[in-house]
Amino acid sequence: MHKNGADAASVVRDTIYRATMALDDQKWEDWLGLCEPEFHYAITAFSPEINKDMIYLQGGRKDMETLVRLLPKHNTDHSPLRRHTSVYTVDVDDDAKSATAVSSFVIYQNMLDGVNSHIDSGESRLFLVGKYHDTFKLENGKAKFVKREVRIDNRRLDKGSHWPI
Amino acid sequence: MPARNHTQWKANPGLEPGEWVDSRVYSDQTIFENEVDQIFKRVWVPLCHESELPKPYDFRTASIGGEPIIITRGPDNEVRAFLNVCPHRGMLIERRPSGSFLEGQPSGNPKRITCMFHAWQFDMKGNCVYVAREKEGYQDRLCKEDAGLRRLRCEVKFGGFVWVNLDDNPKIGLEEWAGEPFQCLRENIDAEPLEVFHYHKAIIDTNYKLWHDTNSEFYHDFMHYHNRVTGFNDAYFARKNFAFKNGHVVVGTFEVNYENYEGFESRGELSFPHLPPNQWYMVDLFPGFNFNLRGSALRCDIVTPLGPDKVMIEFRGLGLKRDTPEERQTRINHHNSIWGPFGRNLHEDLIGVAGQGTTMRPGTEPRNILHGRHENQTIHDEIGMRHYYDEWGRWMNRLPNNPDQPWQERNKEDAVAVAE
Ligand code: FES
Ligand SMILES: [Fe+2]
Repeated sequence: MHKNGADAASVVRDTIYRATMALDDQKWEDWLGLCEPEFHYAITAFSPEINKDMIYLQGGRKDMETLVRLLPKHNTDHSPLRRHTSVYTVDVDDDAKSATAVSSFVIYQNMLDGVNSHIDSGESRLFLVGKYHDTFKLENGKAKFVKREVRIDNRRLDKGSHWPI
Repeated sequence: MPARNHTQWKANPGLEPGEWVDSRVYSDQTIFENEVDQIFKRVWVPLCHESELPKPYDFRTASIGGEPIIITRGPDNEVRAFLNVCPHRGMLIERRPSGSFLEGQPSGNPKRITCMFHAWQFDMKGNCVYVAREKEGYQDRLCKEDAGLRRLRCEVKFGGFVWVNLDDNPKIGLEEWAGEPFQCLRENIDAEPLEVFHYHKAIIDTNYKLWHDTNSEFYHDFMHYHNRVTGFNDAYFARKNFAFKNGHVVVGTFEVNYENYEGFESRGELSFPHLPPNQWYMVDLFPGFNFNLRGSALRCDIVTPLGPDKVMIEFRGLGLKRDTPEERQTRINHHNSIWGPFGRNLHEDLIGVAGQGTTMRPGTEPRNILHGRHENQTIHDEIGMRHYYDEWGRWMNRLPNNPDQPWQERNKEDAVAVAE
């Protein structure tokens, strides 16, 4: 391992957890602040039904900026999503300029207005299970996302979501 | 009118019969059971696309009205459908959603459909080819020749979809059933092979017809920011709904201005064969199947009713089989940015029908659901739903706005015509 490997790995972990909190709190700007200009985002899944790798949503940094900026114009399910992320592996490149990481996540939907708030608001339902496959640029002691693939296991997605996962 | 008391609220809405329905059609358990028996087990249902079983010995499983179904592709390349039920003791024969019989299974040989329970085996034509210890157990009383699978009517048609009918003697052949509504799309979807690139499902606590209603009316474009900015123009308001026999509806095309939604682009370059740029056709088939071509991507919704207030909707996206990887990526983006589970519109549509389902749980008070907009059959005219419920009443022999009343009583002339 590179002599700075251990430090770099903890910086990467820190960025992943900060992203989790920013996404949980719908602080989209904070989340995008953790991403490089060339950032690419994708939600993917494999379907054993049609036997295909699928892309459920993808875009570059600009696309994601537009997507989150237009959110207030859309009707949406406002039930907050709460991610439980665990970083499994961090691999820092030999030159310590980039790194990749794999994290597992479970996302609960804390019911608010999605179905019948009188009955189910306040309840947490399992929404998504999957892994983050992240790539980072390391610079000035910081790790920033250049790529995030959100690989979900669910193909049953019910109402789905307007939000980055 | 100010807010109404109970009597006013329950009164007829002052529209013509046929311009509203009773909410029990969306919430009553008996009506639901009748629908399964009298409609779903008798109509042509698209179960999957042929590209989901591309090679000989590939299979796909599904169900209609709770009856499990397996679809296979034989070594002769024929697609066939059978009940996925073992003739021995009723085991579900194949449990996977898809796969290939080229590989052997723990209980059986390659190229065989094997029931894992007692190892009976079947070929791709549904013949029983092996009964374990046949003679020892059955002597000459029953042999494998008597133990074939239950074969089902099955056709590959209209863009390569696999259509199955549980009724051995359907009232109407598939071409006659849906050929006319599909006419508007035929040269686009039958010009060359299509391929599925997207699949996901939703199980929503709502009635299946509420999903089909949403697919049959565009008045709800007010809830889609995307459709308001890309669609609302003169051509949009002139867009027409066309009713076809058997309860089907087609929504005619117009040119969508995708660039009006920030970050979106024209789909002109990847239009389906023979389709002018950025056109948008929609075919709504009775009793709940939707084919939706937005220029570069075809979407298909298939409903599987699970109860009066529960439905599974399967969503598929399709492109051309010959797409280059780059073309396919673009098509996927076009499809998913609006229609994917994380797209802009689908989420809103599903919130809409989930909300309706919430007010129409079994046991809620029956109320009037209005289908009475008339606007010269243009886009916000609710003719699609009126046409659908007319057909529904016929199949169910129930009046949609008073489902305890037989449909035939009030529609005697029409009933005679249908009976013939
Ligand atoms: S139930 Fe299928 S072999 Fe016995
Ligand atoms: Fe819609």
